[in-house]
Amino acid sequence: MTNYNELQECIIKGNRIKARELTQECLDNGNPAKEILDEGLIPGMAVVGKKFQDGEYFIPEMLVSARALNIGLGILKPLLEASDVKPVAKVLVGTVKGDIHDIGKNLVAIMLRGSGFEIIDAGVDVSPEKFVQMAKESGADILGLSALLTTTMTAMKDTVDAFQADGSRDKIKIMIGGAPVTTDYAEKIGADGYAPNAAIAVEMAKTLVGGSR
Amino acid sequence: MLSSRERVQRALDHQEPDRIPLDLGGSGVTGMHVSTVYKLRQALGLDSPGTPVKVIEPYQLLGEIQPDLIAALGVDVIELPGRGTMFGFKKTGWKPWTTFDGTPVLVPDGFNTVPEPDGRIFMYPEGDKSVPASGQMPEGGYYFDTLIRQDSFDADNLTLDDNIEEFELISDEDLEFCSAAAKRLFATTDKAIFAAFPGLSFGDIAQVPAPWLKNPRGIRDIEEWYISLASHQDFVKEIFERQCEIALLNLQKVYAEVGNRISVILVSATDFGLQTGPFISPNVYRELFKPFNKRLNDWIHENTTWKTFIHSCGSVLAFIPDFIDAGFDILNPVQTAATDMDAAALKSKFGGQIAFWGGGVDTQSTLPFGTADEVRSEVLERLKIFGPGGGFVFNTIHNVQPKIAVENVLAMYETVREYGKYPIVK
Repeated sequence: MTNYNELQECIIKGNRIKARELTQECLDNGNPAKEILDEGLIPGMAVVGKKFQDGEYFIPEMLVSARALNIGLGILKPLLEASDVKPVAKVLVGTVKGDIHDIGKNLVAIMLRGSGFEIIDAGVDVSPEKFVQMAKESGADILGLSALLTTTMTAMKDTVDAFQADGSRDKIKIMIGGAPVTTDYAEKIGADGYAPNAAIAVEMAKTLVGGSR
Repeated sequence: MLSSRERVQRALDHQEPDRIPLDLGGSGVTGMHVSTVYKLRQALGLDSPGTPVKVIEPYQLLGEIQPDLIAALGVDVIELPGRGTMFGFKKTGWKPWTTFDGTPVLVPDGFNTVPEPDGRIFMYPEGDKSVPASGQMPEGGYYFDTLIRQDSFDADNLTLDDNIEEFELISDEDLEFCSAAAKRLFATTDKAIFAAFPGLSFGDIAQVPAPWLKNPRGIRDIEEWYISLASHQDFVKEIFERQCEIALLNLQKVYAEVGNRISVILVSATDFGLQTGPFISPNVYRELFKPFNKRLNDWIHENTTWKTFIHSCGSVLAFIPDFIDAGFDILNPVQTAATDMDAAALKSKFGGQIAFWGGGVDTQSTLPFGTADEVRSEVLERLKIFGPGGGFVFNTIHNVQPKIAVENVLAMYETVREYGKYPIVK
């Protein structure tokens, strides 16, 4: 059995060159892609999330680790898809209409990817209608909405309302985040939760799909 | 009665003046969005309907705070204007424009927007449409953001010159402009003059993409820049080293012209806080940023009477002792709704060592979404917390945003006028 400590360490330290080498090496040695994901990349990223929560890692360190993770995931992705490995859940993410600030959204997306979720990234400045349409097409279990501005956070409510109007609100869990957003606001607009940072977003996503299944 | 300048000076010396001084528009981080300035001017009867307001900062679309508005509100601070803008064009040749929310405004002639098929509008460095756009505003938006123009680069072979192109000695024209403005404002107003010069903030993320440059080279992508704070600290330090040398020369040149007519100088506008905690490690601040902040502050304190101002959004509790140690006299915007930023705790812990310029009312919740009564009550609470003993200049937490009921804005200024007199009634 392969010892994945070294691969985990590459993710934790953000060593992308070595992450590429080791991921490939594990594959060359005949380890299944799913095992490399579950025992190498995901536990590595979990440590990154914990270090962030503990105040040991900050945004730059998270971004460096995320980059190493992305390289590993990039190598594994075609193999995971070919072997029909099911993700934990599908999460559709995007910044709401009028908002083009996506660093927070991207961090949440990579932390979720690093926890075994499949991400469908709707990008920035996404209209409520587009979210509804993309949720249907992708069969997403969760919608993650991001807004940085007080002038755009109201579009979160418009998006939740659009799912209501469409009759598909009960088919998807909605979590929201961004600087001016709060738990109170999430409750007020009928979202299922608010995550103050990317590490908590992962926990919340796990809880949300756990609760629906 | 004290002059505005004396009032600000006393407050910054941690003494109680006659009333709490008020800032609006003293800098690009203590101003007001042009749509709100328009509504405020209309509500105060300063303009007839449809009278446009000048956009004096085209990136955040800040509106001009004219002398009549300063007088109407009792503002004590005035901006030392510069000639340039974030997009590299000069503030000249005003022409009409209309914001997405329908506000009539005036913009400089270099403000050449181009609508995209998806509804966004693009903005160009120096207004030059023949080069790639450097700014974008989404349809219905209120501000511009930078468009990242990042060519691929070799992270292991970075070239210092690429990332210091924007740091240069102040031109004779700019120096003359600033000198004349300082002398005029000092002689013709009693306001405290607030100065900001390009190139003093180290690693300000709003500046990293250099939207005023036509062909920026080096690290210009926001994410790449943050990554470099963890993975290429030596390179970042070299950038700061060169930037600092030039900044010191510019401070000397400016001081030789304007002397102590300036009351306050914006030394750093780099954001170190997230809503929930530090953006970067406090250790990285200490090792990478603080020595350069300190060098500029030390020079200022050794040679001038200027007070040094740091703006950092978010939760910055972990940095405040280092900000004080680095020689900052003033902290802004004092984002009290962020984690660990309780107003009373900040005042009691640091109020004797650093002045608070901001924290007056929350601009993420109360001002845009609260009622006028909620605004009054929060402002009153802040006056009572931050006011006693001086060390407080009233300002909203960061710029006043658009989409705000003018009743709330009026309620804020009325409360400051009514309850801001010393001694503050408990």
